[in-house]
Amino acid sequence: MALTTFGAIMAFAADMVTQSGEYYKTLASLAAGAALKENLEDLVREQVKSRVRIEETRRMNVTEMILEPVAGLLQEVYEIEFKIPDPSADADVLRLAIALEEREKRFFLDASAKVPLPEVARFFRKIVEKKEKNLSRLASIHVD
Amino acid sequence: MERVKNYINGEWVGSDTKEYGDVWCPATGEKIAEVPFSSAADVDKAVVAANAVFEDWRCTPPLTRARYLFKLKNCFEDAFEDISRTLVTEEGKTIDEARGEVRRMIENVEHATGITTLMPGYNLEDIATGIDCTAERQPLGVFGAIVPFNFPAMVPWWFLPYAVAAGNTFIVKPSEQVPMTQTRIFQVLEECGFPEGVINMVHGAKDAVNGMLYHPGIKGISFVGQTSTARYIYKACGETGKRVQALGGAKNFVVVMPDAELDRSIPSLITSFYGCAGERCLSGSVLVAVGDAYEPLKEKFMAAAKALKVGNGLDESVQMGPVASKPHMQKILGYIEKGIQEGAKLILDGRNVKVEGYEKGYYIGPTIFDDVHPDMTIAREEIFGPVVSLIHVKDLNEAIALTRKSRYGNAACLYTTNGKTAREFKYRVPASMIGINLGVAAPMSFFPFGGARDSFFGDIKGHGKEIVQFFTDTKVVIQRWT
Repeated sequence: MALTTFGAIMAFAADMVTQSGEYYKTLASLAAGAALKENLEDLVREQVKSRVRIEETRRMNVTEMILEPVAGLLQEVYEIEFKIPDPSADADVLRLAIALEEREKRFFLDASAKVPLPEVARFFRKIVEKKEKNLSRLASIHVD
Repeated sequence: MERVKNYINGEWVGSDTKEYGDVWCPATGEKIAEVPFSSAADVDKAVVAANAVFEDWRCTPPLTRARYLFKLKNCFEDAFEDISRTLVTEEGKTIDEARGEVRRMIENVEHATGITTLMPGYNLEDIATGIDCTAERQPLGVFGAIVPFNFPAMVPWWFLPYAVAAGNTFIVKPSEQVPMTQTRIFQVLEECGFPEGVINMVHGAKDAVNGMLYHPGIKGISFVGQTSTARYIYKACGETGKRVQALGGAKNFVVVMPDAELDRSIPSLITSFYGCAGERCLSGSVLVAVGDAYEPLKEKFMAAAKALKVGNGLDESVQMGPVASKPHMQKILGYIEKGIQEGAKLILDGRNVKVEGYEKGYYIGPTIFDDVHPDMTIAREEIFGPVVSLIHVKDLNEAIALTRKSRYGNAACLYTTNGKTAREFKYRVPASMIGINLGVAAPMSFFPFGGARDSFFGDIKGHGKEIVQFFTDTKVVIQRWT
């Protein structure tokens, strides 16, 4: 489905970070290694904060005179298959966490170029920076 | 069926009237509530209550009054989504448009909290030797607002927060078509603990309006609506010695020059003409293509208009909602028929648009007429719907001449990359709200809102810096202590 309005983009963003938060909770419960577990628990907290900020941004930045139609952003491109192998190892958990962060980085980067409000675009770019830091941290975790 | 109530002196009270109007959901065509057609007696109750608390409120320091507004702003933020959704349900605009409207409502509360810098007067020592003079602003009493259907949350708050911040008390009469939004807002106001009697609400139609216009206890009226009513209100206030600001209708021209960045401009043009389903006094109505801009503009604009998703405004993916009422839908369809009869070419027909699951809703799709002559009805009269009249002119002078012929002077917009053209346009066009490279020339709360010619009757416009002058008297005090 095309995300053609400011509201649709923000609603998708909010739902996506909530979904990721739920996935991180699951992954944190499966992680054996302490470093991996701690990082995942941080990500759960971060997703909750993100959701609140997204909703706040939507409320504070909706400018009625420039609610312009958006083109070129498709929801399907950012959908992810979240399948945990059974049994799972920390390597699987880490792989899925990286996939989730990469998905969000891609979405917020693409959406920052499309959203018709510069303040919101700036906010999205800040999220992209955060995701890059997270990915760097996840990549440095050693798993068996 | 819910029957909305008046809010007088901090209480929800019924009206004595036996006459009730129906409130409809434009998306579904279903009845959702009933609204009392309050009488002049109901208005009197509100005026008595507002007058009774005026002296106490007027003696409250402005900073304290502002603090109530600070708190109210936070309460509105908490109820933001709820107010927005109520608005969509009874007015029809999209949820994003409703959020944008609520945002601007709150913005006026924010601006009014600056009353300590908006209200101060001025002074001069020794106007004659040893004699000093000050000019001080003082509130006057009870003010009222009579407001339209298209912005049920925002428009009362173009006036109300400034009036009460300045020390007056207030009565709002919402449109009887959309009473639920302001009712929800007043519920928030009540929960927030705003002092009783300072802000009141009376629902109704003609009797309530006349009850306000002819009540000797009301010092001034703010109005937004169509020009014929604005003129009536202006005249009545003149007869009764009330201050008045009456914002009327519009026929806005949006001019596109050959040097405009067309691809960048199209989304903005679409918002101008079809945002809020064209039910906006700032909506573009006549699209004026200058010279070589005509062909590519027509092609790209039509393609973008065709792609708009029309539907129930509560769906985040919908880009244009229904129009606000069945009678208004019929009126717009009448204008489309008139355009055809007068010889304009209907190149995009928005009639008979079908929205699955909402067959009884009041939907009109994006509509475009080409080959429009400036003398045609659709080019001259306010349609207030998603109907665009496309006119091709040879140059900027011809475009400006069109704006000068109009009886209205609300807004006009220009798309260009040439600064000289932009200056020429804003200098010569007789509209009061000008947009350059944007299609909705909406002043933020810290600038004045209002048009010229038949779009505005009065002297001081809505919100902005000067609004405090409307709600206060300037008292000159000349003192000699030497």
